[in-house]
Amino acid sequence: MLNYIRAEFYKVLRRPYTYITLGVMLVLEGLFASMFAFHNAHSLATPFGGAIVAIVEMGTIGFCMCLLTGDMVFAGQYKNSTLKNEVSFGLSRTRIYLGKLIAQTLLSIVYLAVMMAFFLGLCAVVLPLEPSAGFYTAQKGLTIVGWFLAAGLPLWVAGQAAMCMCLFLVNGEIASSFLYVGIIFMLETVIGLVGLFAGGPVGDVLLTLAGYFPRNMLEIAKEVVGNMTYLGQAWLVGAFWVIVCTAIGLYSFGKKEIK
Amino acid sequence: MTENTAVMAAYGLRKAYGSCMALDGVNMLVRRGDIYGLVGRNGAGKTTIMRMISGQSQPTGGEMELFGASGRNMRPQRQRTGAMIEIPSFSPFLTARENLEYYRLQRGIPGKQTVDEVLEQVDLAEAGKKKFKSFSLGMKQRLGLALALMNHPDFLILDEPINGLDPEGVAEFRQILRSLNRERETTILISSHILSELSNVATRYGFMEQGKIIEEISAEALHDKCRTCLRLEVDDAARAAAVLQTELGTDKFEVLPGNVVQLYDCLDDPKRASYALAQNGVALLAMEQKGADLEAYFLNLIGGGRHA
Repeated sequence: MLNYIRAEFYKVLRRPYTYITLGVMLVLEGLFASMFAFHNAHSLATPFGGAIVAIVEMGTIGFCMCLLTGDMVFAGQYKNSTLKNEVSFGLSRTRIYLGKLIAQTLLSIVYLAVMMAFFLGLCAVVLPLEPSAGFYTAQKGLTIVGWFLAAGLPLWVAGQAAMCMCLFLVNGEIASSFLYVGIIFMLETVIGLVGLFAGGPVGDVLLTLAGYFPRNMLEIAKEVVGNMTYLGQAWLVGAFWVIVCTAIGLYSFGKKEIK
Repeated sequence: MTENTAVMAAYGLRKAYGSCMALDGVNMLVRRGDIYGLVGRNGAGKTTIMRMISGQSQPTGGEMELFGASGRNMRPQRQRTGAMIEIPSFSPFLTARENLEYYRLQRGIPGKQTVDEVLEQVDLAEAGKKKFKSFSLGMKQRLGLALALMNHPDFLILDEPINGLDPEGVAEFRQILRSLNRERETTILISSHILSELSNVATRYGFMEQGKIIEEISAEALHDKCRTCLRLEVDDAARAAAVLQTELGTDKFEVLPGNVVQLYDCLDDPKRASYALAQNGVALLAMEQKGADLEAYFLNLIGGGRHA
């Protein structure tokens, strides 16, 4: 498995796509941090602690990043028919599937670490560290961000597992991406709406179910920052999604004819 | 050789795609040291067999063994194989060297120099830094072969490997196969539509038609069957045989049913044979020169007229 993951990283690190995506994200972060600095120069005085809590509002970006990191690792293996090289050597399909999932997850964690370090570092440089009235202190801000990242991580990993499943289920990255967007961004809304219209006990079940979708969990997390019970719930839901998506993906890939 | 030396064996192997039977009870035996040429028309099932051996496709019936292992136990045995099935496929954004390094790491093959060695072996050392997407078909074929050879396989599976190669490339390829077979005792399963080329390397043949192996034959036996001869139709085959022995001093002939004698001598001077027979009172009813190459043999086997 280690060989497989190492090989995936060898491939990913040789794609310009990997660096361009990271570059674009860092530029956007830079612009965002500069916006606070610009405002500070004119009227507002947002300190470091006040600016970094904006991360809490951007949790959805993590699910969008799953699309990109999944695509980076999978690298058009159906389109380029390269899976046959792996299967014909006798690598087990389980190893291939889990190897890609782990590589995708590790890559997204690296992305997350670099992006967080860059944003926090930049904010620390361009914004005042001293607290100001109406804003969080640096310590409080870091605590909020830390809790949010801890709650978000299992849910983003769930998104990664969903993306991996989609990539193995459907031939073609575009179709896989549509499926992923449907599952992560739209299915919860559909189930929720059906629940609202249905009403009664069935409606309650559907509404509860919609609440356990990763993106919904992350939305709620914003409102309950610091709640350790919810943090545990986020990890449980994340683990459940990872297990279910991986089981479906593995089953499907195990039966698939490799062209 | 016995069954124990079987590298790959299939027993009643079947594969159905809906109502279409791609393989319909294939029985096949590839023995250690064979260069097994799989011959058949498009859609006969050659690639399907190879895809099953390499685990890309699962049979819907029958059994298959690889190095004596069957079912799920076949998977680890695939690490002793090298395969190039259909068009070689690699990541287009990586160079040839990077692509091979990726698979070397993935497969845990030790020695970084392995990549350069196989690139050298397939004459791609110069193109190692070129991206795969800019490769010609011939170069892709060479890279596919390099990947198949990287783990020093005991069993090499090659599907149409010389497609797109220039004449020099074909000769080099033939040389590589022969040396692998002789020096490393690599068993090779190869399919090709270029039957003349196949006949240069194969030591055993399997002829396929409509999802079945219709004949398995060694190269020697095929050579004998395809040998050029004079086919003599006479009124008395026994007397003709005696005349050929006494008058022409040859025993290179076969007596076949229907008063037919196949003479493998006097091919450059058929008149000598007809004169000798006539002189000794044997009536020669018909005489023709007969012989076949692999293509003719195959066409004759499947009923003629269609191309492999």
